Amino acid sequence: MLSITDLTLTAQAGDHSVDVLRGISLSVGRGKVLGLVGESGAGKSMIGRLVAGHMPPGFAVSRGQVMFDGADLLALTAHQRRLLLGRRIAFIPQEPLSSLNPVMTIGQTFGEHLMLLGLDAGKRGESMVEQLASVHLPSPREMLRRYPHELSGGQCQRVLIAMAFASNPALLIADEPTTALDVVSQTHILALLEEQQRLHRTAVMLITHDLRLAAHVCDDIAVLYAGEQVEHGPAREVLGRPRHPYTRALHAANPDVHGKQRVLPSLAGQMPGVSALASIPGCRFAARCPARDLGCERRPQSLRECSAGHWVRCAPGCEENSDRPERSAQQDATESWQTPAGERNAPALVVLEDVTLRYTARLGIFGQRRIHGYAVKQVSLSIQPGEFVGIVGESGSGKSSVARLIVGAAAPTSGRILIEGKERKREDAAVFRLSRELVQMIFQDPHSALNPRRSVYRLLTQAYELDHVPGSIERKPRYDRGNQLLKDVGLPADCLERFPAQLSGGQKQRVNIGRALCVMPRLLVADEIVSGLDVSVQAQILNLLLELGKRQGVALLLISHDLSVVRYLCSRVIVMQSGSVVEEGKTDEVFANPQHAYTQLLLRSVPPADPETVWPSKGLSLDERVTGGNLSIS
Amino acid sequence: MTVADLNTQTGAEQPQRLQLHRLIRQPRVAVGGAILLMMILAALLAPWVAPHDPLEQDLLQMLAPPVWAQGGSATFPLGTDSLGRCVLSRVIYGARVALIVGIMSALGAMLIGSALALIGGYFGGRIDRAISYVVDLWMSFPPVVLSLILLVGVGTGVDKVILAVVLVDWTRFCRVVRADVLITRRRDYVLAARLIGFTHLRTLLREVLPAAVPLIITLFSIEMGVAIIVEATLSFIGLSVPPDVTTWGQMLADARGDIQSALWVMLVPVCAIIVTVLGCNLLGDGLRVALDPRLRLRGE
Repeated sequence: MLSITDLTLTAQAGDHSVDVLRGISLSVGRGKVLGLVGESGAGKSMIGRLVAGHMPPGFAVSRGQVMFDGADLLALTAHQRRLLLGRRIAFIPQEPLSSLNPVMTIGQTFGEHLMLLGLDAGKRGESMVEQLASVHLPSPREMLRRYPHELSGGQCQRVLIAMAFASNPALLIADEPTTALDVVSQTHILALLEEQQRLHRTAVMLITHDLRLAAHVCDDIAVLYAGEQVEHGPAREVLGRPRHPYTRALHAANPDVHGKQRVLPSLAGQMPGVSALASIPGCRFAARCPARDLGCERRPQSLRECSAGHWVRCAPGCEENSDRPERSAQQDATESWQTPAGERNAPALVVLEDVTLRYTARLGIFGQRRIHGYAVKQVSLSIQPGEFVGIVGESGSGKSSVARLIVGAAAPTSGRILIEGKERKREDAAVFRLSRELVQMIFQDPHSALNPRRSVYRLLTQAYELDHVPGSIERKPRYDRGNQLLKDVGLPADCLERFPAQLSGGQKQRVNIGRALCVMPRLLVADEIVSGLDVSVQAQILNLLLELGKRQGVALLLISHDLSVVRYLCSRVIVMQSGSVVEEGKTDEVFANPQHAYTQLLLRSVPPADPETVWPSKGLSLDERVTGGNLSIS
Repeated sequence: MTVADLNTQTGAEQPQRLQLHRLIRQPRVAVGGAILLMMILAALLAPWVAPHDPLEQDLLQMLAPPVWAQGGSATFPLGTDSLGRCVLSRVIYGARVALIVGIMSALGAMLIGSALALIGGYFGGRIDRAISYVVDLWMSFPPVVLSLILLVGVGTGVDKVILAVVLVDWTRFCRVVRADVLITRRRDYVLAARLIGFTHLRTLLREVLPAAVPLIITLFSIEMGVAIIVEATLSFIGLSVPPDVTTWGQMLADARGDIQSALWVMLVPVCAIIVTVLGCNLLGDGLRVALDPRLRLRGE
């Protein structure tokens, strides 16, 4: 249906040009699903934009062809292309909420789309209800009168899927359709996409950063790295027997939810930026490749068919040991490796006793109507020194509120919070100070958590600006501490005088961790700290946290929606739903034998590492899961 | 991966060290700054620059035309007014009052407005609501009437004019800066500073204020222009300064009667006001672009 041959996309940056995409050859047939996999900056979204004709200024195709159903897409006029888009080629965007006009109802948006498709006004209403029902939205008639903000992210995405399939398109391009959604909604949306795609026999191009997810949903997979297609083949085979060192690294950097624990191998460094590409003469992965030689650093590798339909851009010798998964070697070496369990018998560091956090929303002109909701409902937990504990749950489950309560950014409505056995109360400044010295927080978004006007040095040692910290006046102790922290979090020495804007995402997150470590706390509270990072950077950060736990004995409360990350780091896990703890226990036991239905649902939503396992599981109900909202009118 | 990303990657530069360099590269900053610098120099060096005393009357040379017109002489380069006073000298001395009022009242409005904005925006809740109510109430008074009442009440003089402008215009700073503070306050680094143990005052000064400084500088230079116009208006109706002090507004008032026969006497102070206010606005506009990283990326 769509075939791209030997495509090169060149960007003009100043007076020199860079090949943003180089030698891309892909094809997707009717009724097939092609997965484009890569980390951010790999150029995967650029392929989607190329097909849509939405190229940023300065970008032009310098070589190759893009054929759609026998027509050359690149030769089309703007008018011809417009006739194709939205009719024969449909899109599903990444951010469902921002893709729907907030001042139009679903019915108006959908109706406008149908009008453009040329459907008579009289038939539109009936058709919309039919389409919305086919994506398993409850009460579709009522849905038409709603505005986007009244719907959940998953519901919005269902509406967009219904709109995309309304024209019975030949090709659907889905750009990270589930990245903004919860794990549970993700599974439902993917299952729904698959159902619709079978029904309409549509060719689908699924753009994603998740190799495992792609392997289970797609027929074929193309792996991209820095604008190059490094591997391409049948999905099962790419995941089961990855040939290219990058695919292998990507696969191995994902922690597993089942099976033996292993240390995550992480690649050093990061993907080269667009402006750096011009100065790389050979294979773009060579600088990070564990098996590189002089040959591949100097000249580009060509795509080579290593088995039927499985193409790889690497030298022939490289894949020899790929049949024997290299991770087994590391697995053997670290048989005794385990998550930090902490000191069982020591007095608990932090204890929450029946803590409830209630919030009040005022409605009406004079705020006369009050609505109470519970962000956290009677949660009790304790954290031992040196222990790594994980909290998992969907967004809105109250896990971030627990973090805010523990660090003291919010005060509980009822219940007690004990820091080393002392109750922290609003008026007790001494316990607050103790709590600040013992408990520090690592923030989710390093971009927002680092003051852009402070240098790395002044960020790391910010605590020295306090009056009661020894060494706050002299420069020397502060400088030494800054250097020490830089080493602790594995940043190069020349970073000290830089500003956050000059750091990569992973480096920023390291500074974020380093700042929390400055006062040598005994507990770090980490709220979703790896969710915004690429897989290979995520592995680096996770290993850093493990190392800090082992070397400095610091405890960690990790809040995450990603179960595999929690399993990798934490010895104990707490599952939260709608503000309450529904299950708690040793990570291995909970993951191997989940008791609560919600835990089982969460575990089923994670794409498994084994390519032969069927996922999303067939018995999955496609209906929107009905959750009890945590808003209740009192 | 867009061209903008290319820029961020290649142009990774230290925000502080290059700022001065970048400021001057902005043409609006350069032009506006040059105009204001010229005005300030003229005002400071007035006794040496001006050819005559601004109050010296030469009744034989009433309404003499400027030097390039027929009958003009080099003694009075821009001619004389109806009392035979040198127009050039009067414009130069007038810049003193204009700039003092401009700078002092912009400074006063900035201090009061920004301080209240920081407190309200940072603490939120009741304090913020109280400050916002006062601002709303204050802004509902017509500004000209408010300053007239003030001046009639407290009497005339340069210091009274400054007071009037500050009392009328601090709300502008308060509104705009508060919006900026509200955005900054929600950033995680402000919470991070609190969790490290920073007091509210320290957090405000070290984390919140620096983010608002570019905006405050920009507002300051625009406010200067506004204050100069207000001063000219007030002295035009004779409410600003005693008659023995020369101001541009007073020159306009004096020249009103001879507008048919001697237009230049009117035009000179008008041009002085326009050029000075234009300089302030250009500088403010240029600073806004130069200090805003998002606009800078697009501009270059």
